[in-house]
Amino acid sequence: MTPLDSNLPAPDAGICNGSGPLEQVRYACSLGALTSVIAIPGAIPITHCGPGCASKQFHALSGINAYQGGEFHVPSTNIGNREVIFGGADRLDELIAATLRVMAADLFVVQSGCIPGLIGDDIESVVGKYRKRGIPIVHAETSGYRGNNFTGHEAIIRAIIDQFVGAYDGPQEPGLVNVWSVLPYQNPFWRGDLEEIQRILEGIGLTVNILFGPSCAGVAEWQAIPRAAFNLVLSPWLGLATARHLEQKYRQRFLHIPAIPIGAKLTSAFLRQVAEFADLDPGPVETFIAREEKRYYPFLRDFAAFYAGCTSQYQLPSHLVVISESAYALAITRFMVDQLGLEPRYQLVTENPPGEFRGAIRAQFRNLVEGGGAEVIFAEDGRQINRSIRQADFTGQLPIVFGSTWEGDLARHLGAPLVEIGYPATDEVVLSRSYVGYRGALALIERIYTTVVRKNTMA
Amino acid sequence: MAKSKLKQIAIYGKGGIGKSTTTSNISAALVDAGYKVMQFGCDPKSDSTNTLRGGDYIPSVLDLLHENSRVDAHDAIFRGFGGVYCVEAGGPQPGVGCAGRGIIAAVQLLKQQDIFDELDLDYVIFDVLGDVVCGGFAVPIREGIAEHVFTISSADFMAIYAANNLFRGIQTYSNKGGALLGGVIANSINTDFQREILDDFVARTRTQVVEYVPRSLTVTQAELQGKTTIEAAPRSEQARIYRRLAQRIAEHTESTVPAPLSPQDLRSWSAGWADQLIEIERKSQHLAVAS
Repeated sequence: MTPLDSNLPAPDAGICNGSGPLEQVRYACSLGALTSVIAIPGAIPITHCGPGCASKQFHALSGINAYQGGEFHVPSTNIGNREVIFGGADRLDELIAATLRVMAADLFVVQSGCIPGLIGDDIESVVGKYRKRGIPIVHAETSGYRGNNFTGHEAIIRAIIDQFVGAYDGPQEPGLVNVWSVLPYQNPFWRGDLEEIQRILEGIGLTVNILFGPSCAGVAEWQAIPRAAFNLVLSPWLGLATARHLEQKYRQRFLHIPAIPIGAKLTSAFLRQVAEFADLDPGPVETFIAREEKRYYPFLRDFAAFYAGCTSQYQLPSHLVVISESAYALAITRFMVDQLGLEPRYQLVTENPPGEFRGAIRAQFRNLVEGGGAEVIFAEDGRQINRSIRQADFTGQLPIVFGSTWEGDLARHLGAPLVEIGYPATDEVVLSRSYVGYRGALALIERIYTTVVRKNTMA
Repeated sequence: MAKSKLKQIAIYGKGGIGKSTTTSNISAALVDAGYKVMQFGCDPKSDSTNTLRGGDYIPSVLDLLHENSRVDAHDAIFRGFGGVYCVEAGGPQPGVGCAGRGIIAAVQLLKQQDIFDELDLDYVIFDVLGDVVCGGFAVPIREGIAEHVFTISSADFMAIYAANNLFRGIQTYSNKGGALLGGVIANSINTDFQREILDDFVARTRTQVVEYVPRSLTVTQAELQGKTTIEAAPRSEQARIYRRLAQRIAEHTESTVPAPLSPQDLRSWSAGWADQLIEIERKSQHLAVAS
């Protein structure tokens, strides 16, 4: 038995450790962040990598992850032995030229994979040539061995900001905010969540560059990044590097709120915190909050009848097991503990966050709610996760598992309902559903307790 | 399957140490003695076999691979002095691509097409670029391609560092079926002191000096004609030394795992010799003043 150890050596700052053989993969490689480019309306990735790298990463992240689908029209150099020996820069040059003849886009993001990184292709000289001709094109090094799709996501953002958006010394627009939150595609609910975050922030009077997803205005939003009055990082660590860079580059302030709010209480508090930071007039903010709560609480009141056992005889879960990437692990644990009164039992963060952020993530879980918290464990190997939780004693407790499809066996073993919230998710079809904010919270409650009821009735 | 009499040898050495010169003279001496020999240059500069072919460059395996994805290995084989078979692995232009991967591809191409067997060779001699900087340059000592490795070194410390690195490479692969070390070819040895440095190094690393080759104007003159010493000055003292070296390599059968010095030990060892050098220099200056 390998005990779960929350004190495993942390990876080096800035990049994710190579973690050796893994059972049950829970994220993609750096190149997989091409989904972040696909998530920007009007942007197209051009991949400089071996055959199959790009398509496998995309289909892994979009296909077996709540069947998100999405447009995959990605030119690739598909380099092989010849390019390894003689260099692949010429092949990339040829591909970019051909792409420009047949594809139109507002922004091209050239992503290099492992092979060019190892042999040292001078990609910037190729891409820079097109940029000088006025083509909107950037290069992000996303060699698979350098990190995962989380760090690749930040590399892409950095490339777009530095190579496409560029310098700016004009005025900032009061009330304009750039939002850096959930990772597109990795989180199956990213589309709905970003829409909800945008909706509530606009509700209190902000103008929002949401930057990814169907509600993003496209590349024009990215060009507006330097004009924003501040950056909002709404995740435990992802986006912080970007916000710090923007602070340096455009002298923009940033507000870091690690836990994405779920439910009226937490969302209203979140909005008040943002409004105070942005120096918004409290009047319209409170008006919006009141309107949202007026809609939210009657639903919660009606749910209370079920939850109190008045209308049902079902055994309701008492203890939480959450196995997920940190953004959802933190947000859902906080909601379940603070709003529904469950006890945290196991909180596992699975995306291998860079070492420099781990201490802060630990603190975020410890300070989960007023007067209480949870110990977080960093683990990504399915065998290690499974064996350790299986041997735990749940006597007198009714656990509920929030995790991925990989947790199916574990949930069965524990006799617990499983709510799929993360990658991979093969028992969910997700389009616009959200689990955050006011509206998402209601959808989350519906999903959790539908799962609980079905566990009882369909067992 | 390769015939049992085929002997495959790899010769490594720091760039500019006289590696290709020595290797070409060994090849020339062996063909002169009636053996069927191939010299396989494993250096992106593709100049290993020049003096076997009157100073001519030949197209490399990778030149051909660059033109076509399918290459007939025969197109990369050229005859030189005494019928010696000359092959150059070649490589990408400097600063581009992966030269190590190129050497792997070139060696694999000839192996896949059973060329060594088909030509009924007695010896294949790989002339490999100096330091074992990455996996590609270790190919001849891996995978049973070469059976014996020799390294060329002068008494210059940088050359000895390169030799010690090679020993580390050999040690790494020694228990995985890799080639073992035949010994050191001591090149440019004109003084007792230079000989002592190398003798001390081989003693500490548990190997041997196969031959001491002096620096000689005959070699330079031959190379200016685009020839090996064996071809240009066959009756010279230098040619006699190269022949003796070739014979020793031909007769060599038992290679061993060397004991490379750790980086710290190597630094201490070279510092000790440097102190002795300074002492000798100081004494010779005193003598000059006294006289």
